[in-house]
Amino acid sequence: MNRLNKKRRQFIVLSLLIPMLLLIAFVVFPAIDLFRMSFTSWDGYSPVKEFNGINNYISMLQNKDLWMSLKNNAVYFFVHLLMIVVELAFAVLLTGKLRAAKFYKTMVFMPYIINGVAISYAFSYFFSPINGAFDAILTTMHLEGLIRSWLSDGSIVNYVLAFVSLWRFSGYHVILFMAALQSVPQDILESARVDGANTWQLFRYIQVPAIMLMVDFVLFDNIRGALQVFDIPFVMTAGGPGYASSTFTLYTIETAFTYSNFGLASTMAVAIMVMIVLIYVIQNYLIHGLILKDRRKEA
Amino acid sequence: MKKSMVQAVKQLICLGMVAIVLAPILLTLFAALKTKADMVGTSPLLLPPLSRVTFENFKKVLGDKALLLGLKNTGLILVISLFFNVMFGTITAFIIERFDFRGKKIVVGLFFLGMLIPTFVTEIARFHVIQGLHLYNTIGAPIVIYVASDLMQLYIYRQFISGIPVALDEAALLDGCLYFKLFAKIIFPLLAPATATVCIIKAINIINDMYIPYLYMPKNKLRTLTTFLMDYANAQQGSWQTLAAGIIVIMIPTIIIYIFFQKYILAGVAAGAVKE
Repeated sequence: MNRLNKKRRQFIVLSLLIPMLLLIAFVVFPAIDLFRMSFTSWDGYSPVKEFNGINNYISMLQNKDLWMSLKNNAVYFFVHLLMIVVELAFAVLLTGKLRAAKFYKTMVFMPYIINGVAISYAFSYFFSPINGAFDAILTTMHLEGLIRSWLSDGSIVNYVLAFVSLWRFSGYHVILFMAALQSVPQDILESARVDGANTWQLFRYIQVPAIMLMVDFVLFDNIRGALQVFDIPFVMTAGGPGYASSTFTLYTIETAFTYSNFGLASTMAVAIMVMIVLIYVIQNYLIHGLILKDRRKEA
Repeated sequence: MKKSMVQAVKQLICLGMVAIVLAPILLTLFAALKTKADMVGTSPLLLPPLSRVTFENFKKVLGDKALLLGLKNTGLILVISLFFNVMFGTITAFIIERFDFRGKKIVVGLFFLGMLIPTFVTEIARFHVIQGLHLYNTIGAPIVIYVASDLMQLYIYRQFISGIPVALDEAALLDGCLYFKLFAKIIFPLLAPATATVCIIKAINIINDMYIPYLYMPKNKLRTLTTFLMDYANAQQGSWQTLAAGIIVIMIPTIIIYIFFQKYILAGVAAGAVKE
């Protein structure tokens, strides 16, 4: 028995050794190091990392451009939040009786797997002020009056970029909702229908409760995603004009790799991390807990 | 009567969705098939007259040596990363799912932490680890990052392993099978469908990733497909028709993967989300 135990332990240790080392070196250590660096004024190459207390935290909170960037993140969040209703509607539509549903399912998820850089350039072309397709569409519809410089007008650029983000990521949520809807047993739906429930009632009283956990996940994914918007503005506008389309992550990355202020950038990174963990905890214990409690009562 | 009306409306809505999905891709394709004169002369919403359709833009991209290099680098990074992802992913999931040992909670907690840590901004600290290990400007940088972070494979494998009866393990062990052999000969082959899902989803993520190669491999020789496109875009300033051909070429690999392996992708995406 003892020999077997020893073999078992050997197996566990040997198998986990490299994965754990990798995780610690490239994920856990950097995360901890961010905290340490956030209290220094390190520039990225000096051998000394000078401790400067909570100065970075103060200057972060006083940074107007950063706050503006965070406000831009909010645009993505709200646009995606509103879209959840549409995504749910599409999921219901595509799981119901529908001709060519399979083809539509393929189409709805396709943007998610397309190269993000390539599609960002494609949209830059689409919204371009010279021979751009979007302006041509507006012109054919006799709406020339609405034409703007879509990517260089600070007051609308975030909405244009958020639209690109919707185009790319909405299909992911539709697929998740579809998976959740399909987990509702068909016979429950059938018997409710026989009992005279209409489509809305089926949706409201059977399908919605069944997919609450997925709605929960999508909400979290939405917040996490909105806080970390990076590649769309990075490729399409580089955060411009000025900081009009910058985001929290874009600003943080720039602070580190363009302006070599690794200390301050780490502080911002810590802020993002804290926000994500906080939202996760709140959601897990509040919303998640409430839903599960409701279920327990029903049972 | 009413029923067919409803069906027609549903079809219209879905066709509208398809139009929105395809529009930016098709319009880019149209541009890629135009000459410089037709970029100005014909509407961006239309193809040029068939007699004037040109493949010069595609010839130019496909003839670019840097594209070939990008393809080679992406392929190399992909194969090595997937190999280690599958190896470490399967064995880690197997141990977490099937064994109890001291410190297990910490191990699971650390892997879970890995899922919560934000992408992009972590690079601020990871950058120095990569530099310290002399991996900067080598293909080792993206490989170790792809293997060490993004741990969705653990969820997919754990879910799959929990569906394999424990009696199978016990029978094999009673027969005198060693743990490694049990894993390699019995568990690993049973995980093949999950491995297919993991490989396909990861392949798409890795091919499409921009930031890691952009940040860690500025050397010209180390372009990937995606960073090649960024260079190409900078070099074609203002000449949309040539860039458009580049955009289409770079989109093709993942679209092909998607069309052939859609079933695995959709299943894996949903499985990765429903974790707890």
